Amino acid sequence: MKQVFLLPAVILLIALVIFPLFWSLGISFTDIQRGGGVRESAGFLGLGFELTGRNYARLLVDERLHIAMRNTLFFVFFGVIVQYVIGLMLALVLDQPFRGRNAARVIFLLPMMTTPVAVGYLGRMMFDPARSPIAHALRTIPEWFGADPVFVPWLTNPAYVRWTIVLIESWQWTPFMTLLLLAGLQAIPRELYEAARVDGASSVQVFRAIVFPLLVPISVTAILIRGLEIFKIIDIIMVSTGGGPGSATESLTMYVFRTALTFGNYGYAAAIAFVLLVMVVFFTTIFLSLARLVTPRMR
Amino acid sequence: MRRSIWRTVAIYAFVAFWSFIVLFPFYWLITTSFKLPLAVSRGPTYIPFVDFDPTTVHWEYLFTNQRNTTLRHFRNSLIAASGSTLLAVVIGSMAGYGLSRFRYYWRATRWRNDQIAFWIISNRFLPPAVFVVPFLLLYTRFGLIDTHFGLILIYTMFNVPFAVWIMRDFFNGLPLDLEESARVDGASRFQAFLRIVLPLSTPGLVAVAIFSFIFSWNEFLYALMLTNFDAITLPVLIAGQNTNRGIEWWFISALTLVAVIPVVLIGLFLERFITSGLMAGAVKG
Repeated sequence: MKQVFLLPAVILLIALVIFPLFWSLGISFTDIQRGGGVRESAGFLGLGFELTGRNYARLLVDERLHIAMRNTLFFVFFGVIVQYVIGLMLALVLDQPFRGRNAARVIFLLPMMTTPVAVGYLGRMMFDPARSPIAHALRTIPEWFGADPVFVPWLTNPAYVRWTIVLIESWQWTPFMTLLLLAGLQAIPRELYEAARVDGASSVQVFRAIVFPLLVPISVTAILIRGLEIFKIIDIIMVSTGGGPGSATESLTMYVFRTALTFGNYGYAAAIAFVLLVMVVFFTTIFLSLARLVTPRMR
Repeated sequence: MRRSIWRTVAIYAFVAFWSFIVLFPFYWLITTSFKLPLAVSRGPTYIPFVDFDPTTVHWEYLFTNQRNTTLRHFRNSLIAASGSTLLAVVIGSMAGYGLSRFRYYWRATRWRNDQIAFWIISNRFLPPAVFVVPFLLLYTRFGLIDTHFGLILIYTMFNVPFAVWIMRDFFNGLPLDLEESARVDGASRFQAFLRIVLPLSTPGLVAVAIFSFIFSWNEFLYALMLTNFDAITLPVLIAGQNTNRGIEWWFISALTLVAVIPVVLIGLFLERFITSGLMAGAVKG
């Protein structure tokens, strides 16, 4: 009887997660192409195909893949840092009592609700080199002070464009960090602050000695979730830069998508996807072991 | 006293600064949708009636000439999002209830409740890229490409883990007494779940529904991959404007607003459920 409650979820996950996962592993060892007669000749599982290690050999020499790996790690690493730092500042502010706090919380939340595709367009409009308000501000504000106008090729110069993506991503997802950290802050008993204040500790000391250590567990969770999410990044990039210039902002998910949909090379796309999966597992493990080191007595 | 005044000033300055960063792009989106092409291309124009004359032609175009396209894709998004939300709520609350009230032991994997729950939530974090190829092949094989049902199915798969996680946490916080007295009165376990537990769980269910709906409404990768005409959702339609006719910012802005307004309204009015749902999902996990 009790199994009935679990059954739909388990069936769904086995059919739509576990099975595709293993099947995809099999596909990554074949060279199934689009229109390669998956339906007609090879049987539905693609088992009629000869197994080959060619896809995995190609991974090692595929320069574009290596760029996509570096880009993805760049987005994850810097995205998480930017979002954590700003998110923590916002959470600390929202933890203070002030008028309009609830309104501020709702406003801060809005980017998170917005369709990432829309956020990509917003980013493109904001960072347009000629017609955007940011470009306009960078042109005119320095002139007030007699300096030369600044021109930043946000979306066209490979040196800047990855940062632009990080900024756009962070605009959307910093609220997530804020919400979690704010909950963490509000769970800290007020007496702790007061006791420390009575003992003459400054705000900075209270933060360093009491608040921050208590925030470590929720910070680990928040950073982990955001990191895992950024590993999947595609929509914002697709719309704002299309992965360009060249492949300067192409992410792994995007490369998988293009290999499968644009080039029709299913076998290789599956192999790349497994590279992404292995990276995700690898970095999650490292992150969690590091977290365990710094967390005071976290089981 | 002096100190607290400065503190207040600093707080408001920071809040105002970040609100500006958050709200300005939305302001830009709204104003751009009322600009004529020239007002966009001759450089940034900021304030309606002052440095550009607002026009409603893009909105009219969207809801007259393009009316059928706009509404069809809006409907597609709505169907995919509500369908998967409904399924995720049903499946998620059942599994969440099970994990909260019974003890399981899966012999094959030697998992108990905690491990099962962890396995379920971990599915949520698998990179979607892994499923690109198998779902393309599966969906082609079963004729699910470009169908509402196909989208609902895959979104449900992504929504269920989070739904289970939130609902399990929610049920853990509900007292057992009510169910037990209903059981004493002769209700079956399932009846007790339906009649007693679920009505008490509205906040949790609402949180799950909001998350599922927003995720499905905003999802892009699978919608792009698995639809090509009939079932195309708004994000795919919007992203497609990129290449079809060059970039018509004014039109794209209006279209984007059509996709953004519903979820922003959800955010504005149901914020407390979102916050509480995230807490359940993350703090206790």
